[in-house]
Amino acid sequence: MFTCGIDVGSVSAEAVILDKNNDKKKICAYIIAPTGGDSKEAALSVFNSALKKAGLQQQQIESVVATGYGRQNIPFANKNITEITCHARGVVDFFPQTRTVIDIGGQDSKVIKLDAGGNPLDFLMNDKCAAGTGRFLEVMSKALDINLENFSEIFKKTKDKVDISSTCTVFAESEIVSLIGHGADKNKIIKGLVYSITNRIISMVERIGLEEPVCMTGGVAKNMAVVEALSEKLEVKIYVPSEPQITGALGAAILAG
Amino acid sequence: MSRAYLNMGISEKIKDDLKNKIQRNLDRAYITRVLKILGTRPILSAYGSTFASESDKILNIASIKSLKNAYSGRYPVAYGSLFLPYEMIHALGLAPFLPEVMAGFTGGLGITDKTLKEAASKWYTPDLCTFHRSAAGAVELEIFPKPNFLLCANLACDAAQKTFYIDAVKYNIKDNYYLLEVPFTKDKTGIEYLANQIQNICEDIAKKTGKKLDMDKFSKTISLSNQFRHWAIKLNSIRKKLYNYPENFNGLNFILPFHGLAGTEDAVKVYRSMYFEFKKLLEVQDAAPKNKSKKRLLWLHLKPYYKNRIFNVLEENNYILGFEEINYVYWPELDTARPFESLAVKMLSHPLNGSIDNRICAIQNMVKDYNIDGAILFSHWGCRHSNGGARIIKDSLNKSGVPLLILDGDCLNKNNSSEGQMLTRLQGFIEIINSSYK
Repeated sequence: MFTCGIDVGSVSAEAVILDKNNDKKKICAYIIAPTGGDSKEAALSVFNSALKKAGLQQQQIESVVATGYGRQNIPFANKNITEITCHARGVVDFFPQTRTVIDIGGQDSKVIKLDAGGNPLDFLMNDKCAAGTGRFLEVMSKALDINLENFSEIFKKTKDKVDISSTCTVFAESEIVSLIGHGADKNKIIKGLVYSITNRIISMVERIGLEEPVCMTGGVAKNMAVVEALSEKLEVKIYVPSEPQITGALGAAILAG
Repeated sequence: MSRAYLNMGISEKIKDDLKNKIQRNLDRAYITRVLKILGTRPILSAYGSTFASESDKILNIASIKSLKNAYSGRYPVAYGSLFLPYEMIHALGLAPFLPEVMAGFTGGLGITDKTLKEAASKWYTPDLCTFHRSAAGAVELEIFPKPNFLLCANLACDAAQKTFYIDAVKYNIKDNYYLLEVPFTKDKTGIEYLANQIQNICEDIAKKTGKKLDMDKFSKTISLSNQFRHWAIKLNSIRKKLYNYPENFNGLNFILPFHGLAGTEDAVKVYRSMYFEFKKLLEVQDAAPKNKSKKRLLWLHLKPYYKNRIFNVLEENNYILGFEEINYVYWPELDTARPFESLAVKMLSHPLNGSIDNRICAIQNMVKDYNIDGAILFSHWGCRHSNGGARIIKDSLNKSGVPLLILDGDCLNKNNSSEGQMLTRLQGFIEIINSSYK
């Protein structure tokens, strides 16, 4: 039996096709693509691409579960489930013992507390602003004219940081422009930015109560600078799935069964 | 299609038409004219026939009558803050007007953008709760009736005592502004202290309106308040067992009768008729016990009063509001022979007065009594008295095995929160409760 999970986020859309014919689940194919301006279209596009990659026809898919902010707008989905439940389920598949999930996506960041059986017990989400999300890093990367992929290396090699006092993305952007204008070292600014986003997440983790093991998912989990900063500040090891961006879609595919 | 259903459609059309007209003619004189026409016997009777239930009809007619009185110019108008004992206003023969509740109507009327904009232009800070800001804007725009007296209390919420004072200055009636200073403890000294204030205010207002304090009227008003309390308790006892409510029923819509109409025949009629309607529903439910599959939520604080999907999502997921904190009957039966002391006791019994433990204790009782599966605290922007205790309430409920969702939002300003995020939190919470039942 094949199932599919589709996660439509603000920045990217993901599809995972799962083979549940055997006792052990197997990912047949997954696709990650930018969402663009039309979430419905993005969902259809990643679905078709995943089908093609897996060599399957739509009618072979038993059930489709949609998740993410665009979950209610996917006509071919049989059901929609929130990203809270889907991320929790997906994480457990990668790391069954996980008790805390930190998910940082394009416009949402959330912390989910799991019980010993992997069921979500409680969660917290960021408020309506973009601080503490992937969008914050994207905007800053543009302001600095430094590719996001280089943040990790810069973070590692830079000792000191420049503190960024603004929480608001727009204000932080102008603060950076002003810092550059005053001749501040861009690498130190990057270090400061990473700690800035980390502090937002830590306050959510502390509110919900940290329990190990901790796992991080979402697109920002690919940015090792953020993972390392979180690990350092929380004083815990943070596990990251091999492809953290598909965790929500994987959870949806599992729940589609 | 039933007649009641058709009538409900007509009622919505009338409301929509009125809404559009009021949006276009936002001034006191126009609203007074509309209420004058609406309040005539034949129109009220025709309007009443558009409601599906007797209680709905009584409540809507009573609300129009109360508003008509406040706008008519025939009675001295008393602005009152929410937690005031309205029995004193009714006994004094004043027309009560509740700016905070009416601010909720500005949400329903779709004019909050205008009232908030006006408040902002008059230097009301954006971190002040929108009920008070919208009310302040409506006063500045002279949409609300002109007050003769302004009565407020420092019970729970402290915003009205400031905004009402600004209103008193605007209308040059500072001497008619009264603040009830409510102590934290319900002991003999506290009761006496508050009762004296209530009595002094009543005597002062009576003098200013050229009347003598009519103790028989006070006694009668207290008696009516007790009758309303009696039926509200009976209604709540039915709700403990009820899983199916009448169509369009939302327990979060009863602030006006619960507070502003306390001490009137209308409040007694509303709650008595609701009791009998709900009793019938319980009998139907008992005949088909399988209807009890719904999960029950306790709703803490208020709800968004603009169009939103929160309650649709709850319904789609087979959830009902088992109870709402605002409908909790928290005070003992009042003594008709000692009206001022009784009203002091009523105020001092409010769970939001004093320590947060009082509120937690009341919430825990509601959880037990109403068979609650989970609770939602709607964290209204700027509401310190409710949001300040959210964490302690969450911890207390978690200890009892009841999950609590703190749902951030704004009761009036739809632009102050994202519906998508709100619904994701709500749905996520529902999924958590459902998974614990597997």
